[in-house]
Amino acid sequence: MSEVDMAVIKPEMMKSYVWLQTTDGSIQQVEQEVAMFCPFICHEVLQKGMGSSKSYAICLPQRVNPAMLSLVLDYCRFHQVPGRSNKERKSFDEKFIRMDTKRLCELTSAADSLQLKPLVDLTSRALARIIEGKTPEEIREIFHLPDDLTEEEKLEPLKNTTDDPRIRLLNRLYAKKRKELREREKLKIVEAEEERVDDRSVDELLSFINGGNGDSKVLKTSKNKKKRRRRKDQQKNASHSEVAETDERESNGLHPMCHDTELDDEFRPSSSGASKLQDGEDDIFAPKVEFDDVDDEIDPALKEKIDREVEDFARRLNSVWPERMQELLSFGQERRPVHFAVNGNGTLRRCGSAEQK
Amino acid sequence: MTNMMHRDPPKFPCDIETELDRISSLPEHILEQILLQLSLRDAVRTCILSKKWRYRWAKIPHLVFDNNCLTLSTQDQGLIKNKLVNVVDHILLLHHGPIYKFKLSHRDLLGVPDIDRWILHLSRIPIKEFILEIWKGQRYKLPSCLFSYENLTHLELFNCLLKPPPFKGFRNLKSLDLQHITLAQDAFENLISGCPLLERLTLMNFDGFSHLNINAPNLQFFDIGGVFDDVSFENTFQLTLVSIGLYENVKNDPRTAHGGYWKLLSFFANLPRIRRLEVQSYFLQYLAVGNIPSKLPKPCIDLNYLSIRINFNDLEENAAALCLLRSAPNLQELEMLARPEEQNSAVTVTKFSEDDKWNCLFGQLQFIKIVGISGVKAELDFINFLLSNSPMLERMTIKPAPTNGGWEMVKQLLRFRRASVQAEIVYLDP
Repeated sequence: MSEVDMAVIKPEMMKSYVWLQTTDGSIQQVEQEVAMFCPFICHEVLQKGMGSSKSYAICLPQRVNPAMLSLVLDYCRFHQVPGRSNKERKSFDEKFIRMDTKRLCELTSAADSLQLKPLVDLTSRALARIIEGKTPEEIREIFHLPDDLTEEEKLEPLKNTTDDPRIRLLNRLYAKKRKELREREKLKIVEAEEERVDDRSVDELLSFINGGNGDSKVLKTSKNKKKRRRRKDQQKNASHSEVAETDERESNGLHPMCHDTELDDEFRPSSSGASKLQDGEDDIFAPKVEFDDVDDEIDPALKEKIDREVEDFARRLNSVWPERMQELLSFGQERRPVHFAVNGNGTLRRCGSAEQK
Repeated sequence: MTNMMHRDPPKFPCDIETELDRISSLPEHILEQILLQLSLRDAVRTCILSKKWRYRWAKIPHLVFDNNCLTLSTQDQGLIKNKLVNVVDHILLLHHGPIYKFKLSHRDLLGVPDIDRWILHLSRIPIKEFILEIWKGQRYKLPSCLFSYENLTHLELFNCLLKPPPFKGFRNLKSLDLQHITLAQDAFENLISGCPLLERLTLMNFDGFSHLNINAPNLQFFDIGGVFDDVSFENTFQLTLVSIGLYENVKNDPRTAHGGYWKLLSFFANLPRIRRLEVQSYFLQYLAVGNIPSKLPKPCIDLNYLSIRINFNDLEENAAALCLLRSAPNLQELEMLARPEEQNSAVTVTKFSEDDKWNCLFGQLQFIKIVGISGVKAELDFINFLLSNSPMLERMTIKPAPTNGGWEMVKQLLRFRRASVQAEIVYLDP
């Protein structure tokens, strides 16, 4: 609605419009019934008598910029019409929230400052859907979150269960591993041949902790594969089963999750009967293919041995550990092997001190 | 994700801003709302996103431990139990701030003693909603500290054994849902009368009590299904939605065969506001015990929906159903479900139209649904009676029982006169 249009609007029609001003200074008039759908505007009009003319325009909160205002008004324009079916409203909402996350955040903020609760609910639900099931890495990327936690901090959740004997054993293995790593690093410094720090074991160790957890995406699998291949080229002693192992593990991880969602309805308690009390005992989970370590060409090196031990413990750990903790742990380092290698020793040393308790 | 096809692109170039962390700068209450939309698993995982998100999850006021919060990849019961217990212990320990809602409902969780510990822990904070569903194994005996949850507004229990100590009730409870529970008779009565604000009550498959004396001045919704001897209301003047299913045939039960005892009258005496009534399973049989008046002394003015499961061949049940119909002058929707197992025994049948006292008009009745009939005379008579006395009828839907090919029935139906010129009869394939 531009000012040219305004000139021809008759005075009696003026009543059904309100004037709104955004913080950039621009003023526009909006159909009253649409604008009043926002409790904030409604309050300004009814309690303070604002918005009746251009000079008494309602000053909108700072978080409502012109672009967001027009979105909010689109929403109001549709929903203020009475008699729409729930289905219509739902399909409008679905289309309405199809926008990039940046705008979705802005819109949430704008709707909140206008106290438009249904829209806040809608957008925050949409934001939750975006976060849902994603790895921390992915979430960080989507929302441009600063990666300002150190690897140590990301590992911290592990500390909470050091009283578990299995964790203590795992920590002991960590310590061995660490020692072995340090030795190897020393060796490398002496050799000073390779520029790139060999991060393979640390990386691997952590991906073992990751174990059978399911959130890894297919994309990542291939990335990992590449990474590993590259490493393999660098290190002649890398075992061949590695790549396959990783893949298998990651795809395995997906099964229990998918399976789970199907089952939810089936086992909902309901008034219908007592039968469910007996069901659900077994046969719930698809048989999970365990990635058996059939690595026959055993490398006598200590490294390999510890690798396997750690892996074994990681697997057992997986079966009792709150899975989310491990996911937390593992996601951090996937894409920064080099960075981690630099920090590697410090981090590991820290775990060591926990172990000595 | 980027889909703006139906909208103009933003007018201002925002390239400089694209790197801003917008979500973290949303107001606290919105971030909390977003976290609440996530499963507990996803919510907790946000702790390693960034510093701003580090402890945010720990403040969420709802803790829901359901199947989504934990996926198990083992069938070893011991491991499953350990893992679940571990998760709940951890979350409760790390959580910081008020908890308004606690829900524990995982299909692999038995009634382990660890739950006692959590219930005790929660009794020290003003929790409002408590939901515990034990899907497996024996009934879980609730620790007595549960009954000290003073701020509770919603309580939902599945497969539990309740032995309340002497307690003053849940003074703030508005909604109570008990399924597959065991509770003694006096404890049940104390529990109900100890919840003066109770608005919703659901009882399914219970044992330990069989006399449902419901004294609840604010009760609006009452849904019950189970085996019980009798049900009576007191001070239930707000009750509008009632669904009752009696899962036991009481036809020849000596307990209910008292002559002269008017179940129907006493049942409705305290239900002046009833708007929606579902009479399920054998409950009509219960209502039909004793003398059946042709009409209730006070009509159910607000009753606009009635669903009855009925044996059309049973004289008493027919009489009780008719009494209900005649006492509901504003009924708009009627559903009648035939109890299949009894439809074949031909008995004496009410003569609707010939008997003067049965004559009445269902002035508001618009929709009728008849399900599971086999086409016997008693059923057709009832349908005929409804059709000829419902001048406002818009649609009657008939879905016969699967066994009978219904060509004969259709022929009969076609002949019936209809008081409403608008009425259509929809015959659904069985």
